[in-house]
Amino acid sequence: MEPNSPKRRKLDHTHGGPTFESVASSSMGASGSSAFVLETDELLKEVKLDYSKAFPGLDQTLRHFKEAIEGLEQYGPVPINEASAGWEKTNRTAIPYPDPKPAKNCPYKVSFEKPTHINVVGSYASQTMAKTQASFAVDMIVVMPAALFSEKDYRDYRYFYKRAFYLAYMVDALRKKFPDLAFVYTNLNGNVLLPVLVARPQDQSSKPQSAGDAGSRGKLSYEIRIIPNAPEGCFPTAKLSTTSSAIRRHGSEESKDSKVPTPFYNNTLKSESQFVSYLKLLHRASSSCASFKDACILGRTWLQQRGFGGHVADGGFGHFHWAVLMALLLQTGGRKGEPILSPSLHASQLFKATLQYLATSNLHKKPVILGSNNIPAEAVRQSGPVLYDSARQLNILFNMTSWSAFMLNEHAKLSLSAVNDPQVDQFDSLFITKVNQPLQIFDLFVKINIPSNASQKLPSVSDGRSPTVAFAEDVYRTLKKALGERAKLISIQMPKLASWKVTPSSTKSKTESIFVNIMCDPAKASQGREFGPLYEQKKDAAKFREFWGDVAELWQFPSGEIVESVNWTDFSSLGYFGICQAIIRYILKSRLKLTDGELEFHGQKFSSIISLSSADKASFDAAKAAFSVFEKDVRELEDLPLSVKQIASIGAETRYASLRSPTPHQRKQGTTPIDTMLSFEASGKWPENTASIQRAKIALLLQIGRSLEEAKKGIKTHLGLEDAERETENLGFLDIVYESGFAFRLRVHSDQEETLLDRQTKDQTLDRHVRTEAAALVSSARWRSTILPLHNQTISTYCTRFPALSSSIRLTKHWFNAHRLSNYFNEPLIELFVLQAFLQPHPFPIPSSTSTGFLRTLLLLASYDWREEPMIVDPSDSLSVSQRLDISTRLEAWRKIDANMNRVTLFVATPFDVTGVAYTQNIPKVVATRMTTLARSASKASKDKGIELDPRTLFQSGLRDYDFVLHFSAKAIKGVIRDDGAKHSHFKNLDETGSSEALPLPESPVPAFLRRLNSTYATPLLFFHGGAEDTVVAALWNPQLHTRAFSANMPSSFKPTDADADKFELNKDAVLAEIARIGGDLIEKIDIKDNQR
Amino acid sequence: MSDNSTSSDEFSTLPISIPPTTIISSTLNDSRSLYLANVPADSTEAHFRAIFSSLVGAGRFESITFDQDKRGAQISHEPAQAERLAKHHKKRKREDEELQQKKEDAAAALPDTWTRELHRSGSSAIALLADEKSVDLVLKAVRKLHKSKKYPIWGEGLKDGVLTLGTHWLKAHNRLSYPGNDVVQAVVDAYFTAFNRKEDEAHQLAKRLRNEPDEDGFVMVTRGSRSAPARRDEAEEAKQRMLEKQQKKKDETQDFYRFQLRERRKAEQMELLKKFDEDRKKVQAMKEKRGKFRPEA
Repeated sequence: MEPNSPKRRKLDHTHGGPTFESVASSSMGASGSSAFVLETDELLKEVKLDYSKAFPGLDQTLRHFKEAIEGLEQYGPVPINEASAGWEKTNRTAIPYPDPKPAKNCPYKVSFEKPTHINVVGSYASQTMAKTQASFAVDMIVVMPAALFSEKDYRDYRYFYKRAFYLAYMVDALRKKFPDLAFVYTNLNGNVLLPVLVARPQDQSSKPQSAGDAGSRGKLSYEIRIIPNAPEGCFPTAKLSTTSSAIRRHGSEESKDSKVPTPFYNNTLKSESQFVSYLKLLHRASSSCASFKDACILGRTWLQQRGFGGHVADGGFGHFHWAVLMALLLQTGGRKGEPILSPSLHASQLFKATLQYLATSNLHKKPVILGSNNIPAEAVRQSGPVLYDSARQLNILFNMTSWSAFMLNEHAKLSLSAVNDPQVDQFDSLFITKVNQPLQIFDLFVKINIPSNASQKLPSVSDGRSPTVAFAEDVYRTLKKALGERAKLISIQMPKLASWKVTPSSTKSKTESIFVNIMCDPAKASQGREFGPLYEQKKDAAKFREFWGDVAELWQFPSGEIVESVNWTDFSSLGYFGICQAIIRYILKSRLKLTDGELEFHGQKFSSIISLSSADKASFDAAKAAFSVFEKDVRELEDLPLSVKQIASIGAETRYASLRSPTPHQRKQGTTPIDTMLSFEASGKWPENTASIQRAKIALLLQIGRSLEEAKKGIKTHLGLEDAERETENLGFLDIVYESGFAFRLRVHSDQEETLLDRQTKDQTLDRHVRTEAAALVSSARWRSTILPLHNQTISTYCTRFPALSSSIRLTKHWFNAHRLSNYFNEPLIELFVLQAFLQPHPFPIPSSTSTGFLRTLLLLASYDWREEPMIVDPSDSLSVSQRLDISTRLEAWRKIDANMNRVTLFVATPFDVTGVAYTQNIPKVVATRMTTLARSASKASKDKGIELDPRTLFQSGLRDYDFVLHFSAKAIKGVIRDDGAKHSHFKNLDETGSSEALPLPESPVPAFLRRLNSTYATPLLFFHGGAEDTVVAALWNPQLHTRAFSANMPSSFKPTDADADKFELNKDAVLAEIARIGGDLIEKIDIKDNQR
Repeated sequence: MSDNSTSSDEFSTLPISIPPTTIISSTLNDSRSLYLANVPADSTEAHFRAIFSSLVGAGRFESITFDQDKRGAQISHEPAQAERLAKHHKKRKREDEELQQKKEDAAAALPDTWTRELHRSGSSAIALLADEKSVDLVLKAVRKLHKSKKYPIWGEGLKDGVLTLGTHWLKAHNRLSYPGNDVVQAVVDAYFTAFNRKEDEAHQLAKRLRNEPDEDGFVMVTRGSRSAPARRDEAEEAKQRMLEKQQKKKDETQDFYRFQLRERRKAEQMELLKKFDEDRKKVQAMKEKRGKFRPEA
């Protein structure tokens, strides 16, 4: 179908049929696009309001308002000082003059006359509200008659004083007429020049209602905003360009050349007379384009989830701006002025195209002019973002802050990349996820208390902006320049200006504070020295010196170049966080005169939890280097009967992912050797029997050990036996201890074994249990020999690509340990979780620090619906669509076979393991559910508490939930690890086996003990343990072990019930007594939950 | 746990019954053996010796076999060829050969890594008593106990021979996991001496069998040195090759006629429709799960 035959397509949309021929979504696959369209339709259905039900009686109230205002009598004109002195007192209604208040001797007069017209505008009129809004404002504009104003009223706040009086006059009348409504003043979108009246029904609570409980009743709390504004064409637009100055009061004594442009003031004035014309524009757009309203609601939802709103504290880009932008793009916007959007597009396509426009237009960098192009960019340029509507000669983003323009662009880009990624479900990340969570994006938080005298220090306050906003803009500009590339994103949260009473009252000023959120680029931010321009470039160099002040110094490169620079290397030991903190402290002090007491830094408590340090990378690198030495040593052996194919490390230490950084010589805590895997070239020499292959492996290991000891000095090898239950499992390993302190545990892989086992699993003539056993053996062999080496490579690669990945993995492992889940979630699986959070960060940017990486992993786990969805971790996008489908089908098949999820719970697939179950063996459903619950509550805490969150609380875990808890004696554990063999010589059989020397690599007794318990009590008990250092093992009884009749093969220890000797119940006391006997002196005490006995 | 002994008291309520004969096929001992269910996890032979002597006096109890003692027995260490041959050519073993075999096995067994085994909770065991009369005596004693309620205490009357659990046991495990390279080397050597010999024997046998008619006068047809039928996987490989060949031939004749093109296009269209349907179903399913379409607050 031709893209430009709107008629035909319009037909399609009206009956809501499938939109295969989507035009704007050409970037997406066919299936992805249609699902997206359907999903947006559902979303629209969900959030749309039934206006008559949601706001009963509102229309009537509005009509009453209109009548009341129209019925008001003319007043004045009276001189302004008389009005403020007399009228205010007699009527007890405050006149909301903007600052500075009118001078006493002002000659002009204020008055009230019947408005030319009154209109309901905004999203209530256009029916583009969404249920999920925080508050519902119904805007009613009151157009003041032109007769009230004189030509020069654009100057020196005169218009605003008159407007304030006009408003106060209406307030006074309405207040007396509608006693059942509560009236307060507030500023329109936080613009201090524009006070408006807010009326709320008194019976509804003043705080904004959440959408959840509103939905149940169908009624929503609303507020009516009465907005007085100027008639069209009231002000001379030529005198209100961005460069002209309309406020002369302060500068009047000085010469006329030095007048400061007042773009904000000018734009506010211009916007005052444009309310009606924008109303017309939006109305035209919604009548010409069928899906305009739907697209507006989508835009509103998208903005809302990202915390954008029309209020300046929310960034100053709200639903109104979105709608106007779309309306303008329906008319113009292209390179030659052609429309960018077509009215026949579907709502989701309009939305995506607008998003694309926002992402590519770079509002934060250059002014964007919509409409006829004959306006020079200089005429509209100003410091903030500019989106110039040339038809109405207005910068519609005049109230938007610079950082929010930057953030908007970033978010649009991120969302666009999510839309263009066919592998992810874009819908959730665009509309459902709450993105406005500072902790999930930013790493460094600075709380700045605004000094009370800030407004005097600032030069730019005179254009009518609120001093807080002006101050924040200054902070933003200064920090952006000072941090440069060190900061990827900077955003500032400001307090919202509250509403105030309509009766006269003294306003008390309290200290306000703003929050600066910074997302660092760890690689660039850790640079110790800041380099400026070349010394020879005098102009730039002078600017650099001016900015940095005393700390600027010259620096000579070895090549002879001399550049300006600033030295921060003193703070290098504190990591990038320390450097950034030092820069912020210095620059705010020198440029904005902020003292240390006014700054408060947050955000680095996360890394202190597991004492991460910048030296860790070096020790991981040392472990990697030690492994390559070991690999070389093995490869150089000449007298091996088979040739070495691959020797791969599978230990977390060599992929930057172990919880503790690997340090050699740590005998006392019990050295953990680095696991390695050796595979040989295919050979016919292996015996054709799986049990014999195990012995052959031991023989090979022994030979390797002998040869290594002969070939190199300072190597000790010890053959160890595994805790194997069957002869067909892997039976032995070789520990190789280097003099340097690193130890390696070598296991051999035989492909002959894999072939034999594979054959057994497929052999229909064998017994069923033999086949399942063989299948288990095959999967454990593959896990070690194929999957883990590839996994190791992947994680190691991505740890170098994402600097924050390594520390995030380690912190997440600590979290699993802290909650005693780590004996079910193996380390590689946790690594995959974290990697996934980095690979699919939508809708957030890629995590840049430990805290964001960790919190986003938790967010991922909280929303991971493992019952129904597979998690597909595909780092290099190597899985095809059909492979992905296969994976999903496999999960469905598992769920069909095993609906109760007794065998397979989590399903995590990677390109090197498409079966999806290799990583997630033996995770009971209870444990998986517990992980989800914990992740959810942690994510909720981080969302609710924001930067006040104490990270330690996320790692605290109570023992109350468990049925019983075993506490181990730390002394006994130490005793086992330090066992030197001399003391316990009464064990005759031990003496023979070389008791004279200390044990090579003693294992901590708790994991070994737990393994035994697990195999003994696999059915009746679930054990929880958090890593080798945890001295507590908690346990839960299996609730599914009901009372049953006697059979020869009981699943656990049972006893006859008291009531009926033929019924048998779980013998908990006997099991506990057994555990106590087995643990002996290792167990200090067993705590049993009260109701267990 | 302080109240070790009291909870152990209750052990004696464990039911004891005569096993059905099929459970374990220990040829001669059936009438002398006693099936025990629900044995404690930390049972040893000594524990049961003590219990039985408290019940019926010393000398009645011979030995006990726990569940997992049987496990190792099933795994074959025979070379594959020998195993295959054994199916076709049964060879009766002489008694002295069996004895020799046992000795070899013992030499080739890897040392244990635990000084004392644990048993799965609720598992069973078979006690072998001196004679049939002892079995009756034990059962009678148990019945009597139910009346007198004077149950034996678990672990009482043990001799020093029982190794303790707890830290000693774990320490010993750490130690036993490293039996010493020389010890393991000796075991492995013994194992492969026997294994290689068996392999050689099997080889010889195969050679001998190649042209020798069996009792019924048939000569087994063999291929090369292998003396068993072709393996299953080889047959599968051959089948795979055949299928590939067929597929290749089919591929070559595709998109040749117009009707093929037409059909293909039709199939693609159907596919598209199917996908749309799937998407709709997916969205429907999401809708059913409440909250999927509600933006998070």
